[in-house]
Amino acid sequence: MAHSEELIRELEKKANVVRRNIITIFEGSGSGHVGGTMSVVEIVTALYFHHMKLDPKNYDWTERDRLILSKAHSCEAIYAILAEIGWIPKEKLTTYYRFGSPLQGHADRWCTPGIEYSGGSLGQGLSFAAGLSLAEKLKTQKNPPSEFAKKYMTKYITKYNPAYRVYCILGDGECHEGQVWEAAMFATKYKLDNLIAIVDYNKYCIDGPTTEILPIEPFVDKWKAFGWWVTEVDGHNIRQLVDVLDLTNNLYGDGRPKCIMAHTVKGRGISKWEESHSHHSRGDEVTEGLKEGRIKYG
Amino acid sequence: MVKFSNYVEIGEPVATAAGIAKGVAQAAEKHDNMLALLEDLGFPGIAWFLKNAPDRIVECGIAEANGAAVAAGLAAEGFMPFIYGFAFATIGRAYNQIRQSILPDRFNVKIMAREGAWGGLGISHNYVEGIAATRVMPNLVIVNPADAIEAEKSVMAIADYIGPVFLRLEAGFASPPPLKIFTEDYPFDIGKAYTIKDGEGATIIATGYMVTEAIKASEILDKEGIDIRIINMSTIKPLDENAVIKAAEKTGAIVTAENHSIIGGLGEAVAAVLAESIPTPMVRIGVGDEFSQSGVITEEVDELKVHFKLGAEDIALAVKECIAKKNQLR
Repeated sequence: MAHSEELIRELEKKANVVRRNIITIFEGSGSGHVGGTMSVVEIVTALYFHHMKLDPKNYDWTERDRLILSKAHSCEAIYAILAEIGWIPKEKLTTYYRFGSPLQGHADRWCTPGIEYSGGSLGQGLSFAAGLSLAEKLKTQKNPPSEFAKKYMTKYITKYNPAYRVYCILGDGECHEGQVWEAAMFATKYKLDNLIAIVDYNKYCIDGPTTEILPIEPFVDKWKAFGWWVTEVDGHNIRQLVDVLDLTNNLYGDGRPKCIMAHTVKGRGISKWEESHSHHSRGDEVTEGLKEGRIKYG
Repeated sequence: MVKFSNYVEIGEPVATAAGIAKGVAQAAEKHDNMLALLEDLGFPGIAWFLKNAPDRIVECGIAEANGAAVAAGLAAEGFMPFIYGFAFATIGRAYNQIRQSILPDRFNVKIMAREGAWGGLGISHNYVEGIAATRVMPNLVIVNPADAIEAEKSVMAIADYIGPVFLRLEAGFASPPPLKIFTEDYPFDIGKAYTIKDGEGATIIATGYMVTEAIKASEILDKEGIDIRIINMSTIKPLDENAVIKAAEKTGAIVTAENHSIIGGLGEAVAAVLAESIPTPMVRIGVGDEFSQSGVITEEVDELKVHFKLGAEDIALAVKECIAKKNQLR
C-alpha cells in the first residue's frame, strides 16, 4: 500500500525538527560530527517516527525494535530524536560532550535511555546487532511472540513473525573495517532475516573520498556476494526510505539478512557543510553553518 | 613433612580440561541461558551441549572480533555466552571488541581463554600477556584456577556471577600438568585468596600452574628448615588485597609466581598493594620482558621452565633472596 502524501510531508517536517535539535546540540558543544550526523537524519526519522515498533512511554519495552548505531559518532541525530520522543529532556540537548550528560560524545547505552549500543570504535555494531538478531531467533524458537505482538504486528507479518527486528546503521568508511564482513558472513550463516543493515553511503571519510581511501566499490555486489538481500535508495528521500523498509518486512522468512544502501550527502541541509564534506566542523565553518541552520530550521 | 591447610590434599595431576568440561556441563544444566560460543577450536564440555541443547551452540569460526561483539549482543538479550579460544586471539585480537562492546555495559559474557609460556606452538600461541591486557580494563573479573577441582568450581562460580569474566585457562593448558591440589569440598569464592599452607618465613603468592611449583618449592625449603606460607591467588581481579597485606604483616617477605609476563601481571598487582599499604621486600617470578617460544618437556628437561626460570628451585632461590632482603632491613 502506497504511503499517503500526508505521511511523507509529516515525516519531512519531523526531519526538519530533528535537524533543528541537532543545531541546538552543536550550538551547545561548539563542535561535533556534523557531516555524518546530518547525512543520517532522514534514515533515523523514517525509522523512529514511522517504521520501528516502539513504546514511547517505555524505552525498555522488551518487544521494541532495536536500532544499533554502529557509526556511533552520529549519535547527535539519535539524541535529537530521543528528545522529541521524550526519553531525554530537551533542555539537556545543550549538554553534549559535558561531564555527566546523557549526551555522551559517542552513543553510550549506560548513560542514555533509548540507546541500545555503546559504540565509537567502528566496525563492531553489525556484530552486536547480529547477536541481538540471533538472540531473537533463539528466544522465538522457544517462546513464540505474545498474542499482543502478533496482533500489533499483523500489518507486517508474512511467514515469520519476529518478536523484534534489529536495524543497524553503518557508515561507508566504517565498512573498511574487516569485522563488518565477518559479521556479514555470520548473519548469512544464521539466516538472520530479522536484521536490516542500513549503510549511510555519504561517500566521504575524514581524509577524503571513501572509494579513494580504500576502494570499497563494488559495494552493493560485496553485500550480494556475502549472501545478503541488497537494495539502493536515496537516503534523503523519505518516501523511498519508508517504502523500502516496508518491503523488508514483507521479506521475513526468506532467511537472508537485508542491506539498504542509502546514498546520502555528508553535512546534508547546511550548504557550507555539504560543500566541504567535512567530518568534524570547527571554527568559522561551524559557526556559519549553525547560523544558516538556525535560519533554515527555526 | 609439609603440612597443608584444610581442603588441600596434594595428589597426582588430573587433567584441568576435564575439570573445565565438568564445570561447563553443570553450569549449562543449571543456567538455561548459557551458550557455548565457539571459535573453531572445539569447546570443553561440548558433549553436554551436543546431547542436551545443540541449539545453544553458536559457532563463530575464526573471526574472534566478530565473536566477541556477537557475544555482547546475545548477552544484551539475556543470554550468557561462554567464549572459548586461545587468548592471543580471543583476548589479544578481540581486545577492542571486549573493551567497546562487552565491558562498558557489563554484559554477561564469559571468556575462557588459553594462555601461558609453555607449549610447542611458539611465539604466537605461547601468549603471556593476557592478565596485563585485561587487568587495566574496568568491569572485568579475572580468574585463574590452579588445578582441575578449582577449574570446575570456578566455571560454576563465574556462571553464577552476573557480569563479564576472563577465565584464564593456563594451568594444564599452557603449562605442565598441575598437581591435584584441592579436595572435592574445597570452597571456591571469586575474589578470595586461599592460604594453601601457613608459614612465617616468607609468602609465595602464586596463581594458576605456578601454585604447583610453589608447593614443590615449599618442600625444598622445608628440608632447609624454612617455613613458608603459600597463597593461591586464583582471582587476579578484584585482587584480595587483605590477604596480601596480612601475608606481608605476618611474613615480611613476598615472592609472586605466575605463568605470565612479570610486566602487568599478578606480581605488579601485588607490588602495588604492598607499595601503598605496607612496603615489603618482594621478588617476582614470571616470564621476563621477552616473547616465549617453542619448547618441549622430555624426561630429562623441561626446556621452557629452565629458560624462563619458572621451576620450584627458582622459586626456592627467590624466597631465600627475599628473606635476605627482609633481614637486611632489620
